[in-house]
Amino acid sequence: MTNSTPTSDLSRRKFLQGTGLVFAFGAVGVSSVTGCSQSTPPVPLDVNHWLSVQSNGVISIVFPSTEMGQSSYSTLPQILAEELDADWDDIEIRQLNEDDRRFGNPLFGGVLYTAGSTGVQSYYEPMRRAGAQARDVLLQIAARELGVEKTTLQTEPSAVVAPDGRRLSYFDLAGLGVEGVVIPDVETVALKDRSAFRIIGKDLPRRDVVAKSTGRAEFAIDVEVTEMVYGAVLRAPVEGERALSIDDAQAKAMPGVIDVVELPDGVAVIAESLWAALGARGLLIVEWSSTSPARSFSSAETLDLYTAAAEDAAAEAATWAEKGDAVGAIASADRTFSQLYLSDYAYHAQIEPMAAVASVDADGQGAEVWAGTQTQSWTAHTVATTLDIPVENVRLNMMTMGGSFGRRTALVQNYVRDAVLSSQAVGRPVKVIWTREDDVKNGTLRPAAAQKIDAGLTAQGRLDGWYHRVATPTVIGFFNPVRWGQVQPNDVISMRGAESKFYGIDDFRADHVITPRQARLAPWRGIGASYTSFAAEAFMDELAEQAGRDPLDFRLDLVAENPRGRHLLEKVAEMSGWRSRGGRALGLSFAGYSSSMGVGVAEIEVEDWGGIRVTNFWTAVDAGQIVSPDNSHNQIEGGIIFGISSALKERIDIENGEIVQNNYYDYEVLRANEVPPIDIYMADVDAPPVGVGEVGTPMVSAAIANAFHAATGKRLRHLPFTPERVTQALQS
Amino acid sequence: MTGFVLNGQNVEVANAPEEMLLLILRDTLNLKGTKYGCGAAQCGACTIHVDGVAMYSCQMSLGDVEGAEVTTIEGLSDDGTHPLQKAWVEEQVPQCGYCQSGQIMRAAALLSDIPEPSREDITAYMSANLCRCGTYNRIFKAIERAAQEG
Repeated sequence: MTNSTPTSDLSRRKFLQGTGLVFAFGAVGVSSVTGCSQSTPPVPLDVNHWLSVQSNGVISIVFPSTEMGQSSYSTLPQILAEELDADWDDIEIRQLNEDDRRFGNPLFGGVLYTAGSTGVQSYYEPMRRAGAQARDVLLQIAARELGVEKTTLQTEPSAVVAPDGRRLSYFDLAGLGVEGVVIPDVETVALKDRSAFRIIGKDLPRRDVVAKSTGRAEFAIDVEVTEMVYGAVLRAPVEGERALSIDDAQAKAMPGVIDVVELPDGVAVIAESLWAALGARGLLIVEWSSTSPARSFSSAETLDLYTAAAEDAAAEAATWAEKGDAVGAIASADRTFSQLYLSDYAYHAQIEPMAAVASVDADGQGAEVWAGTQTQSWTAHTVATTLDIPVENVRLNMMTMGGSFGRRTALVQNYVRDAVLSSQAVGRPVKVIWTREDDVKNGTLRPAAAQKIDAGLTAQGRLDGWYHRVATPTVIGFFNPVRWGQVQPNDVISMRGAESKFYGIDDFRADHVITPRQARLAPWRGIGASYTSFAAEAFMDELAEQAGRDPLDFRLDLVAENPRGRHLLEKVAEMSGWRSRGGRALGLSFAGYSSSMGVGVAEIEVEDWGGIRVTNFWTAVDAGQIVSPDNSHNQIEGGIIFGISSALKERIDIENGEIVQNNYYDYEVLRANEVPPIDIYMADVDAPPVGVGEVGTPMVSAAIANAFHAATGKRLRHLPFTPERVTQALQS
Repeated sequence: MTGFVLNGQNVEVANAPEEMLLLILRDTLNLKGTKYGCGAAQCGACTIHVDGVAMYSCQMSLGDVEGAEVTTIEGLSDDGTHPLQKAWVEEQVPQCGYCQSGQIMRAAALLSDIPEPSREDITAYMSANLCRCGTYNRIFKAIERAAQEG
């Protein structure tokens, strides 16, 4: 049986641009080959759409995602370079700037989408296969040139080597044409054994670190184009409102102001400088409509509403995960317990605020846009729908992002839309920049949630039935209604983590009580797991206490069929000195993200005034094959710090439809003097990679809450654990 | 005209003296390495040196630096080889990188004040700047490396 496809298959052959051009030079000696390639115009060898081997010593690899700090920009091309057996120094990375679905993310239905820690997970297989396919073609060309069997040849970085020592660089081979070459089927081409890896699993420096250490990395907010002007947008104070009247006389009279542009939900001042635009914005007098239902949104009432929904057993719910008969098991258990957990809204707080540059063509039929977003597809969609033009007429420049954490994922990106409309109005390129206050007040949030968990215990103190109800809105329904139409009622953004899939619980159920949305929402690092795992793992500790068991032993019962999870529990116990902890206030939590598992132990100190200080954090993570160990360490550590920050500090309040907070002074995130030493173990396993960008975050809140119980005997059940809530718990 | 020394060169700027120094540096003088993050002296992405002292450039006006020596990330070294920049690369500090110009400028001021800082000196000093990606522990290690090797 052969899985090979001959070159006459046009669907594959179309990438082979070198075909035929160098046929006359076939089957000549090495020295002649070199001579010929020097006299032939450089013709790249494009075996497939992922890469181009050029005669000038450069191998260009497509980077299909976007970069927000997670380092996929380096990591994904490394995967292809491994199977190609290329010298990493020969690799040039090409940012994909088009909505070209050939490169789509398989875990998001082929949409170009960088989210959910899926980059390596999604592209590991296709990019390995693309590299292996190209390597096989290079071997065939070399075999033909050298007059030997392909099977006698080997590759070294960027070269094919014959048994007699003759050596042909990939760049020489690229120019020799593909006469007689049979392109192997990409689905069945042989891949390396992991023991042969030279790049995957090794620590190559990130490609962007030098630029980011010298101020030369270019973010969307830094883009300059000829004739560009600046836009500052006065946005409607409440979602759903619009300008009824605009008095822009004073604003327009300011030096440098070019125009004032009405937007669907705001008013943009366009000026020669950002300073002028911001100053004039302050002089706009706008009467806003006041009829939006969002005017009634108040976060305190929202949480009351969600609590009532979580506690109402009759409330309609979508079952998210189910195994056995949870309700029946709990009803017949020896003892039963129930607890409620709450979590407030949270904001992304990425340090680059929203910014985009748009240059709409004079005829209005096309546009060039510079933006940092997590999706080429939806950014192109935003521009195309704003101008009512074909998506092919949108020319994107996907910029590296100053953090994102889910912030730039929406189907329609209003900051991009505003730049496009502003450019269209003034006939010049416009850079729209949000101030920090704009970014907070118009934030798209992690939803507030109320969660009720019921569970039973056997007479021997083992878990006997688990029923987790999460009352929170659909996030997807807001930030991507088209996607919601495809997946409802299953909202992974709202519910992830509630499936508790790393434990073997015989009678299990998790329900989503889909509550009314009362804020603008978006994915947020860890998505649902950032609060569902808090509830689940805090409750697990309460059950262990009720059972009179050590929290570690209680969990070990549940991982009998998950040896990799058991290894992590045992490992982190060893790292943290769990078994001999004495009076140290340690808290254990086993969470994760998607299929990546993370076990964490927090050590804390509680201050009299209600402050919690995390003094140490240990974690053991299993994310399958690790492509970039050093970067994975950085990502996991960052995820844990994000988790500590959100557990201790981060809270958005809404009153009368407006976000109360303004800036980092009233939405505080963790600072240098609050960061503990973090000890990270990553399991070395032969299993597909499943992502490291978010696995650090979900475990943290419960680890801290459980450590708080170890320190004080009290429970924290409302995120974040602010000094007021800590004080309240201490006095309870 | 406001005159000052920028990264070792005399410059004269015609903008109004009350304009925000950060925006003058970025948009008038086209030095984009200094970042806007909050405009409120909270995040430190805009940190520069004025007469050798780390300052939030979002809190200064152009007129404030009349006659002063201003250094931005672009002027910290000629070729990106300041001991801190080398240490940043060695420790692979950045993730998104947006805050790192400010972190490096803050760290350079720290090492100027305290050439051999303790870990407590470092965490206290660096608390003026935020990193949302959570690279703090690498920042500490890079500063310690630069202090030893610098």
